[in-house]
Amino acid sequence: MNMLASIPGVLDAAVLAQASAPAPMAQSQLAHYMFISAALFAIGLIGFLTRRNLIIMFLCTELMFQAAGVALIAFSRFHMNMTGQTFVIFILTVAAAEAAMALALVVLLFRRRESLNAEEFSEMKG
Amino acid sequence: MGCRVSVHGVSGFLLFLNPAGLMGIDAFINPYLFYGAVVLGGLGIAMALPRGGKTAQIVGAVVAALAGVLVLVGLGIKSVASLPNIYFYIFSAIGLGAAVRVISHPRPVYAALYFILTVLSSAGLFLLLSAEFMAMALIIVYAGAILITYLFVIMLATQAPSEARPEELAEYDTVAREPIAATTAGFVLLAVLTSLAFNGMSTLNPPPPGTPDSVLVQIPRKVERVLRGYQVIQKDEKVEGFNRVSGDGVAAIESVIVKNAEGKTREIAKEAWPEELRVRNVEQLGLNLLQDHPGSIEIAGVILLMAMLGAVVLSRRQVQIDEDAKRRHSQTLAETTPQAPGGAA
Amino acid sequence: MGFMMTLSTILATLASPIAALAQSEAAHAASQEAGHAAEHVAHAAEKIEAIAAPGVGPMWLLLIPVLPLVGFVLSALCAAFRVKSKLPAWLTVLCLGASFAVTLGMYLQVSSGQIANPSVATGFEWIKVAWGAGDAHSIIANFGLYIDSLTCLWMLFVTGLATLIGLYASEYMAGDVGAGYCRFYAAFNLFVFSMSCLVMGDNLLLLYLGWEGVGLCSYLLIGYFYKKPSAVEAGKKAFIVNRIGDLGLALGLMLTAVHFGSIEYSVIFAKAQPYLAALSEGRLGDIPAVVQLIPVLLMIGAFGKSAQLPLYVWLPDAMEGPTPVSALIHAATMVTAGVYLVARAYPLFLLSETALPIVAWTGALTALLAATIGMAQFDIKRIMAYSTVSQLGYMFAGLGVLTSTGAAFHVFTHAFFKAMLFLSCGAVMHGFAGQLDLRKLSGVGSMPGWRVVGIAMLVGCLNLAGFPVITSGYWSKDMILGGAFANPHMVAIGWILLITAGLTAYYTFRVYFRVFVGPKYFEPGDEVHGHAGDDHGHDHGHDHAHADHGDRGHGHDAHAHFHPHAPGWAINTVLAILAVAAFAVIGLRFVGGHEGWVSGLIEHSSANYGGHAMYAAAASHGGEHAHATFFGYDAHQAMMYVSGVVGFIGIAVAFVLHYAGRTTAAKSRADALLPLVGPLAKWAQGKWYVDELYNAIIRVPLLVAAHVFHLIDKAIVDGIVDLFGWVPKFTGSSLRPSQSGVLHGYALSMAGGLAVLVLIVVMVMR
Repeated sequence: MNMLASIPGVLDAAVLAQASAPAPMAQSQLAHYMFISAALFAIGLIGFLTRRNLIIMFLCTELMFQAAGVALIAFSRFHMNMTGQTFVIFILTVAAAEAAMALALVVLLFRRRESLNAEEFSEMKG
Repeated sequence: MGCRVSVHGVSGFLLFLNPAGLMGIDAFINPYLFYGAVVLGGLGIAMALPRGGKTAQIVGAVVAALAGVLVLVGLGIKSVASLPNIYFYIFSAIGLGAAVRVISHPRPVYAALYFILTVLSSAGLFLLLSAEFMAMALIIVYAGAILITYLFVIMLATQAPSEARPEELAEYDTVAREPIAATTAGFVLLAVLTSLAFNGMSTLNPPPPGTPDSVLVQIPRKVERVLRGYQVIQKDEKVEGFNRVSGDGVAAIESVIVKNAEGKTREIAKEAWPEELRVRNVEQLGLNLLQDHPGSIEIAGVILLMAMLGAVVLSRRQVQIDEDAKRRHSQTLAETTPQAPGGAA
Repeated sequence: MGFMMTLSTILATLASPIAALAQSEAAHAASQEAGHAAEHVAHAAEKIEAIAAPGVGPMWLLLIPVLPLVGFVLSALCAAFRVKSKLPAWLTVLCLGASFAVTLGMYLQVSSGQIANPSVATGFEWIKVAWGAGDAHSIIANFGLYIDSLTCLWMLFVTGLATLIGLYASEYMAGDVGAGYCRFYAAFNLFVFSMSCLVMGDNLLLLYLGWEGVGLCSYLLIGYFYKKPSAVEAGKKAFIVNRIGDLGLALGLMLTAVHFGSIEYSVIFAKAQPYLAALSEGRLGDIPAVVQLIPVLLMIGAFGKSAQLPLYVWLPDAMEGPTPVSALIHAATMVTAGVYLVARAYPLFLLSETALPIVAWTGALTALLAATIGMAQFDIKRIMAYSTVSQLGYMFAGLGVLTSTGAAFHVFTHAFFKAMLFLSCGAVMHGFAGQLDLRKLSGVGSMPGWRVVGIAMLVGCLNLAGFPVITSGYWSKDMILGGAFANPHMVAIGWILLITAGLTAYYTFRVYFRVFVGPKYFEPGDEVHGHAGDDHGHDHGHDHAHADHGDRGHGHDAHAHFHPHAPGWAINTVLAILAVAAFAVIGLRFVGGHEGWVSGLIEHSSANYGGHAMYAAAASHGGEHAHATFFGYDAHQAMMYVSGVVGFIGIAVAFVLHYAGRTTAAKSRADALLPLVGPLAKWAQGKWYVDELYNAIIRVPLLVAAHVFHLIDKAIVDGIVDLFGWVPKFTGSSLRPSQSGVLHGYALSMAGGLAVLVLIVVMVMR
C-alpha cells in the first residue's frame, strides 16, 4: 500500500478506496463500467467463436469471466454491498476448477489427435 | 381461423416490439453515436481477427480503438459532472486492447501473456471500485495460478518447431473461423446488453448512505485494540457498546461507549476516533463471506475438490492415439528427417 | 439308435394305456359329481320325456378317442426320431384296432343295456364360462362323450374302416417310407381322433372341435403331395369351401347357446321337448322363428362338410390326396359328418318347417347333378368322387324325407362299398403308375395278381349300382326310395332319386366294363416308379422316385419296360375283408328292429327322437294317411322291384355300350351315341362348368375388388402414411447440417440466440 501510495494519483485511488465513507457512485459512472464489462464480454465471445485453438478458446471463456467480474464489482460498489465481491470469489473458484478440468481434457485430446484444432473433434455430428 | 389468430398474434407481438427500447439509452449516450460506434467496432474487430493479412489487422485494430474512443467520449459528454477517474480510462484502454490482442494473436503463448495484461488492468479497475482485496486476489489467482497452468499446457500441447519449419504456425491458429458471423453475433449482443443495462439503470435503488462504520458493531475487539493503540482509552477501559442514531436505512454509529474498571462509563465521539478506526474492504468482505454465505464457501470447496479429483483421474488415463494422428506424425517425421543415402542407420 | 427308438416306442405304447387308465381313475371321482348333476337334469327332464335323461357312461369309453390320439403322438415321435420303417403304420393299426375293439365293447354294452342309452361319459371339464347366476348365464362344454346307438353305429364303421384302411395304406404309402410316412400316419390318427370327438362329443362345441379337426386333417392329407401344385390348390379349395359351411355351423352353435342356454345335447333335447309337443299337437305357431333358424344354419355346415349342392365343388378335387385318404375321409367317414349332424340334431330339424324339405331337395338335386357329371368323366377316381357326392345326396334326401333309418343304413353300407371301390381304384393307380384314365386301361381284372382287385371292384360296383337282393347297397338305397315315395309331399324327390339310381348303375358299370374286363391293355401313368424295369415286387427302396419328382414324358417309352405292379397282401386282405363285409351287412337288414338292425339303433337315438310327433303332425295337418302309394302299391314294397329293375337297366346299358363288342381300351360303342346328345356330354364332362361359374361370380369380382383396394391402399393410405413419414424425414435431413459436431457452430447459435432474445427483451421492456 505504501508503494502504491508513493505514486501520485494512485494515492487518490487508495484514498478513495480507504475513505471511511466513500462518495456515492453516480449512475453515469456505473454506465461506464457496464460498457467496459459488456465490451470485454463481447470480445471474449467473438474470440470463442472465431478462434480454433482449444486453449485460446478457453482463454476467451476466462475473458468472459473477467467481464462478469468487472460488472459484479461495479454493482457492488454502486450498492455498497459486499455480496457482489463475494460472488467474484466464487467466479474465481469456478474459473480455477474449470481451468483445471478443461486443461486436463485439452491435454488428453491433444495426445489423441496431435492437434488442438477444435474442428477436428466433430464425432458428434448428426 | 386458428391460423389467422396466430398471424395476428405474431404481428401483434412484432408491433409490441418497439425500437424505442433501443433508444432508451439516451440518458447516458447518444444512441446513434453508440450504435454507429458498435457497428464500427464490429467492423474493426472483424478485420483485426487473424486471417493472414497483417495490414488489415492493424487497420482493424485502429478502427476498433476509434470506436471504443467514440463510445467513451459519448458517455463522457453526457456525464461531464461526474466523470470517472483518469485511471479508469487508462485501465479500460489497456484491458480492452489486450483483450483484442488475446483474440487476434496467432500464437497461443502471446495470447496468454496478453490475457495477463487484461487481468492486471481489470485488477486496476477493481482497485478503482474500492475492491482492493479482489484486485489482489485476481492477480494472484489468475495471473499467478491459472495463467501459469495455461502456459504449461500450451508448452505441453504444442508441437516443437522442427528444423524444417522452425517458425511455422498451425493453420488453425492463423485463420479465424467465420469472423463475420461471430462478430455480428458478438456485437449485437454487446449492443443489446448495453442497452439493457442502461435502460435498467434508472430502476436501480439509489446507493444507501455510506455508513460502512455500522459494521464496527460486529467487531468490538478491533475497536478496543485501535482505540487502545492510539491511547484514546486507558488500559483498564473496555468497549461497552455503541451509541447509534437511527437515520434512514442503516443506523450510523455516533460514539463508542467505554467502561473503566470502576464501572464508570464515558463516550468517545466519532470526531475523536483515530484515522485507523475504519472498516476496511477485507473486513467487510470477510464478514459478508462468513456471515452471509457460509454454505457457499463449502460448495466452492467441494467444487475445487471435485476439479482436483477430475484432473487427477483424467491425466492418469492412457489415451489411444488416433490412426490419423499417427499417420500425420510419421509423415511429418519423414518430411523432416533428411534421407540417408546409404540407407544404413 | 434304432434300438433305443424301438425301446422308447414300446415303452410309450405300454405306458399310454396305463396313463389313460390312471387318468380315467382320477377322472372318475370328478365324474361322480358330474353324474349327480346329470341325475338332477334327468329328474327335471323326466316330467317331459324319459328319453332325454342320459345315464352315466363308464370312463373306459374315453379310450376310443384317446387311442387315436396316442397313435398320433407315436407317429409324431416316429417323425421326430426319423424312423425309416413301416413302424408308424403298425402302431397306427394297433391303436386304431384297439379303438375299434373298445367301440365294439361299447356297442355290445349299449345294446345289452349295461350302458344306458343315451348316457354321458364326462372326461374332464373343458370349458366353463359363467357370467351370472343360473343356467342361462353360462356355457358348459365338457370333454364328455354322448353315448347312444347313433354314436355306436357311426363309431363302429369309423374305427373299423380306419383300421382296415390304415393297414391298406401301410402298403400303398410304402413308396414314401420316412418322414412322409410318419406325416401321413400322424394326420391319419389325428383325423380319427377328431372324428371321434365329432361323433362322440356330448355338446356342440366338442362337435365343432372335431369338425374343424377333420377339416384340418383333410386339408393336410389332400395336400400330402405338397410339391404338386394341383394338390396344394385342391387342399386350399377344400379348406376355403368348408369355411363357408363352418360359418353356418358356428352361427347355428351360437344361436343354440343363446336360445337354449346350453350346447349340451341332453339339455338342448330336453328344452326342445315343449316345442316337439307343440308340433305334435299342430300348434306350429308356438315354435319361435329362432328355433326354426337354428337347423337352417346347422344345415349349411352339414352341406359344406358333406359336399352338397352349392358347396360340393371341393370333394372331386380332394382326390388329389393319397387314395386311402380318399377312401377313408372323402368317401366313408368325414363326408358323412354332415349326415351325422342332421341325424344328431334331428329333433331340432323337425321343428323347422323349411329345413328338412331343403335338405331333401338339396340332396336329391346333388345326387342327380353329380351322377350326370360322373357319367361323362374318364378319370375313374374322379368318377368315384362324383358317385360319393351323389350318394351323399341320397343320404340327405333320405333324412329330408323322414327316413333317417334309411339314411343311416345307407351311410353304413356306403362306407363299406365306397371305401372298397376307392381302395380298388387306388390299387389300380398304385399298380399302373398313377394311371386312372379308363380309356387307357382295359381287362385289368384278368391280369395275373389282380383277381382280388377285380372281384372287389365287381362287388363294390354291384353295391353301388344297387344290384337287386344280393347287395347291401340295394337294400339301403331301397329304403330311401321307399321313404321318398311313401311321403306324399316328396314324390318328386322319389322320381329324381329313381332316375339317379339308373344313372348310377350305368356310370358305375361303365367303369367296371371298361377297366376290369375286356381286352387286356394298359398304358402306365406318368408316375413311373423307380423299379419299373426290374420286377422285384414290393421291395421298394427309399430312393423310390415318386410322382412329383419322377420324370414325366416317359410315356410310351417306359411302356415297353413297364410291368404292372400287382397289389400285395395288405391291399388284398383289406379288399377281401371289405368285400365280405359289404355282403355281410345285408344281414343287418333282417335282424333287429322292424326295418333291420340299423333301424333298431336309430329308433333309440336322437335321429328318430320325436319322429312320431312329426308323423302325427303331418297326419293332423294333411288329414290323409301318412303313407302315399306308388301307383296304388305300397311304396316300400314297390320300390324293391322298381329300383331293382332300374339298376338292371343301367347295368345292361353299360354292358351294351361299354363291353359288348369292345376291342380297344380307348373306344366303345358309347362314342357313337355322343352326337345324339349334342353338347350335353361335353358340358357334363366339363362338370356343368360350376367351377367356372363360381370363378366368374365370386372369385373374379373378389380379385378385382382386391386389386382395386390394393391400389387404393398403395396410392392413398400408403401415400398419407408416407407423407407423415416424409415430413419428419425432410425436416431432419434439412436440419441435419446444423448438427455439424463442431463446437463453434453450437456456440454461435447459442450466442446468436441469446443476442436475439435479449434484443426482444430490450424492445419489449419499453
